[in-house]
Amino acid sequence: MNMTVVNHHLSVGHIAIGGVASASLVLVGDSETIQLASAFDTPPESLIIGPFPPKQNNKKNEEKQ
Amino acid sequence: MSRLSVVHLLHANAVSFSSVLQIGDSQHIRLSGRALAVQRQLEYVDSREFPLAFPIFTKPIPTPPIDTEPLCHHTLHDCPLIAVHSMRIIGVSSTSVVHIGSTKTVEANSRVKHIRQLEGGKSYARSRRSD
Repeated sequence: MNMTVVNHHLSVGHIAIGGVASASLVLVGDSETIQLASAFDTPPESLIIGPFPPKQNNKKNEEKQ
Repeated sequence: MSRLSVVHLLHANAVSFSSVLQIGDSQHIRLSGRALAVQRQLEYVDSREFPLAFPIFTKPIPTPPIDTEPLCHHTLHDCPLIAVHSMRIIGVSSTSVVHIGSTKTVEANSRVKHIRQLEGGKSYARSRRSD
């Protein structure tokens, strides 16, 4: 397969980004190969409803309850 | 032969947790991040209770198949310039990169596991608060 890319004038005014996280990339430039992979796990069994170890209750928790 | 990147103004508020803000070219970028996010109804912290041995941290992440068809590729830089007037970034976190300039290869993988623990014997409708 033949492929020809012609890069003409490229001008950007403003870029506003809230957050870049978890092995992500913001690239202003050229690159040959980019491989990004991500796994995010929140299965139902990761919800634990169980006893907490005995601890000193602070005021914040008492207010919540 | 790569283009020239021109950024007149860059404002990054926070760059944290092994992140990089790079101004200039690079050859290889390799990023790897693992995170265990534990949220509890009660404040309790013990870093030893969850070893990083969950399947998500070990099993391979499938990658898309590579096309084996030979490729004849030509790039012509009619204008060898990438111009950005201003960038405002609030946060860069968890092994990420903001890169002004050119690079050759980028490989990145991230694995995040969430665990939530609630107190037993309560109705959770009231406790579904964002804080």
